[in-house]
Amino acid sequence: MIEILDPTVEIAARSIAFVPRPASLAGKRVGLIENTKFNSDRLLQKIGDILQAEYGAAGTRMWRKRNASVPAHEEIVRELRESCDVMVAGIGD
Amino acid sequence: MPAGSTAVSSVALSSPRHVARDEGDAIELCFARGWTDGLPVIPPTPARVEAMLAAAGLDPQQQVAYIAHRAVPVTAEKVAINAVMAGCRPEYMPVVVAAVEGIGDPRWSYHGPGTSTAGAGVLIIVNGPIARDLDVNSGDNLFGPGWRANATIGRAVRLIMRNVCGSRPGTLDRATLGHPGRLSYVIAENEAESPWPPLHVERGFSPEQSAVTVMAAEGPRQFYNQLSSTAEGVLATLADDMRISGTGAGQPQYAVVLAGEHMRTIAADGWTKRDVRAFLFERTQNSVAHLRRTHRMAGPVQPGDAALRRPLVESPDDILVVAAGGRAGAFSCYIPGWGGKRSTEAVTKEVKR
Repeated sequence: MIEILDPTVEIAARSIAFVPRPASLAGKRVGLIENTKFNSDRLLQKIGDILQAEYGAAGTRMWRKRNASVPAHEEIVRELRESCDVMVAGIGD
Repeated sequence: MPAGSTAVSSVALSSPRHVARDEGDAIELCFARGWTDGLPVIPPTPARVEAMLAAAGLDPQQQVAYIAHRAVPVTAEKVAINAVMAGCRPEYMPVVVAAVEGIGDPRWSYHGPGTSTAGAGVLIIVNGPIARDLDVNSGDNLFGPGWRANATIGRAVRLIMRNVCGSRPGTLDRATLGHPGRLSYVIAENEAESPWPPLHVERGFSPEQSAVTVMAAEGPRQFYNQLSSTAEGVLATLADDMRISGTGAGQPQYAVVLAGEHMRTIAADGWTKRDVRAFLFERTQNSVAHLRRTHRMAGPVQPGDAALRRPLVESPDDILVVAAGGRAGAFSCYIPGWGGKRSTEAVTKEVKR
């Protein structure tokens, strides 16, 4: 019999506190996180426009990440927290 | 601690243990658990892992890197386990550690090259005395098989990416095509025959130091020039090949690997690595009109686009020049870096031993 060591890591479980989803988007301020990929700004703005026209959102504001491969930087997160109620982000090619 | 020392660390190994009937069963267990790159691995027994750690003078729990984007600490123990599995000799461990420090560096920015559909490999360039001590190939069949250090050091890094950092094909590794360099992509610079300062010296280290440079990279692309006996002639061919490569509109960096014949031709004309970089930077620019016509840039061709030049990289210094490859043959290669500007950059780390 031989023993071998596990080469993987157990990911330590961390709970993330999600803000409760609002029952309605009426009057909510919407943040849009643009990831710099081509056309992502147009797609997000389209989504934002629909949220305003069809769901009564109060308005939208867009932020642009430094590049697609990194998390949103601290200023975005801080400003978003101060000025928005909900946000839309995504990634795609 | 000298390489090859068998001193056993006083700190115990903490990874979960699995039992197999014999070595053959242990190899199959590693396959069954999804721990391999598709080739058989050396079973990582505690004795082998301890020898690996001892060769680098590391305690098991010492943190080699922290992958912020994954919130994953990479401990020396996990590096050693995967290095054993890859087939590394214990004395390779300091090189593997330096490479892992490199991909954990915020400038390398793990998430992009570790995940992207563009399928980067980790090009690992070894410089300094350790390359000769470990027989890291810098000559014939440079990117091909045949050298244990070249084949196993890069394999260890990829296994760590898979098993520790979560870069598994189809989940957090989204490579569309990938390339063979993702098995192992390790070269040394031919410092003994090169007429130029080695890469690590250009990047701030002394010739007596050993260092590892990691670069997120596409596969190597060979070019051929057997006709010219001048630096300008050889590099004109290279520039013409390079100009339309990668995305054509903004790789962060390129590596250019000049093999024996071309290296001697270019040096005989008195050209330095800086001259090579300056020439290539100038001669690899595309017109915006061409990039639009070929749908590498968005939108219709605008008046003035024909005269607008777009460089392949931001600066000549973004072209890393390395002297390596066989003595015979009028071939060299260039390697496009992965990704876009500001999303990653090559990082050089000292090998501590």
